[in-house]
Amino acid sequence: MHLVRDRAYEFGVRGIDPTKIWFDLESAVARKDKIVQDIVDGIYGWIKPNNRITFLRGQAEFTSPVDIRVDGQQITAVKSVIATGSRTADVQIPGLAKIGYLTNRDALMLQKVPASLIVIGGGYIGIEFAQMYARFGTDVTILSRSPLLMRHEEPELSERLAQVLTAEGIDVQLGATAVSAIKEGPHKVIITEIDGQAHRFKAEEVLYAAGRVPRVEGLGLEQAGVAVGPQGIIYDETLRTTAVNIWSLGDVNGGAMFTHRATYDGPIVALNAIKDAGRTVDYRVVPRAVFTQPALAGVGLTEAEALAAGYEVKVGTALFAHSGRAKAIGETEGMLKFIADAETGELLGGHILGPHADILIHQVVTAMYNKGTAESLYKSIHIHPTLSEMVKDAAKKLR
Amino acid sequence: MKQFDLVVIGAGQGGLPAAALAARLGANIALIEMGEVGGT
Repeated sequence: MHLVRDRAYEFGVRGIDPTKIWFDLESAVARKDKIVQDIVDGIYGWIKPNNRITFLRGQAEFTSPVDIRVDGQQITAVKSVIATGSRTADVQIPGLAKIGYLTNRDALMLQKVPASLIVIGGGYIGIEFAQMYARFGTDVTILSRSPLLMRHEEPELSERLAQVLTAEGIDVQLGATAVSAIKEGPHKVIITEIDGQAHRFKAEEVLYAAGRVPRVEGLGLEQAGVAVGPQGIIYDETLRTTAVNIWSLGDVNGGAMFTHRATYDGPIVALNAIKDAGRTVDYRVVPRAVFTQPALAGVGLTEAEALAAGYEVKVGTALFAHSGRAKAIGETEGMLKFIADAETGELLGGHILGPHADILIHQVVTAMYNKGTAESLYKSIHIHPTLSEMVKDAAKKLR
Repeated sequence: MKQFDLVVIGAGQGGLPAAALAARLGANIALIEMGEVGGT
């Protein structure tokens, strides 16, 4: 919508009056619901006919390491897998629960675009929703407790992303701790501490996106003998819990809470539980991406992390502003930054802010998985004109 | 009381591939979900 409104003319499209363009959230949500329903139907489509899988709906609770109650029904489990995922962290801001707030789930089900929105949290969920609603026309403020958005990512890139969001009209407040919430007429007010000073931010809605926690409540994990630590369920490298017949996977184990990590864990658990295969997880190379525009994607160590780990590093950077393809599609914002061990040349990390960064990062992922140097990236032939040429460029600069 | 070789609690994007492969490996599985399949 924002592309049609803001950039159609630049691309030679005529006859569009930007003042007459409007966005119907209800239709967009209905479209999203249909896509989700198709996915859900597809899942039931293979679960239901599978005569080895009995699908039970309900809350599961261990009453012993082998006994599970599912909404009153009792079943026996020779072995079990805990794959309960995560949930939004409990709200710690006095008053917020009382005045009401949205979670990321709620924010995908609104029927009307709010005039203004405060997003509490400067991580993945916070900034994706902030940009999305800003583009829907909402006046958005991000309150990030950390002095950086995406605090675990390469600061050079996340600072740039903060500038991009600011240039789009989002009020990005860094080092901003929400301390309390009150209602003022139709508005919600978040009292926020910035540099020791109290500030007030007012909006129609508040999105609470300050982290997710493993979903471990109500599962009877104590009766099962499954220990939980500060991160989540405690597991070994075969994903076995402290109970010998119970494994756990994905978000409920804490750490890198990404769908792709859970999807990776799933088959490993199945092989270990059913075939006693002794497969171990390899979390050396877990990529991540923020689906903003430009997107931010990363894998491995940042430069600061590599230095702190004792490496002598080489750094290679490249700018999308120098890419012909980026110019052609009108998305020149962003850069790549790769980090390698100066001694061996082994790639230690890759960070990309730019168009399709979420796709481009996979070249670095496969190279790093093979404990590779940047050589395969800069010596192999890349198609022209593609954005992938920029990966080659940044890798070449590592020499 | 029903007995299963493997009980998978949670039919999200981790539980589903675990159940699918375990089924292919011949196990008799209960897959339990309190909300909607597919995860968040």
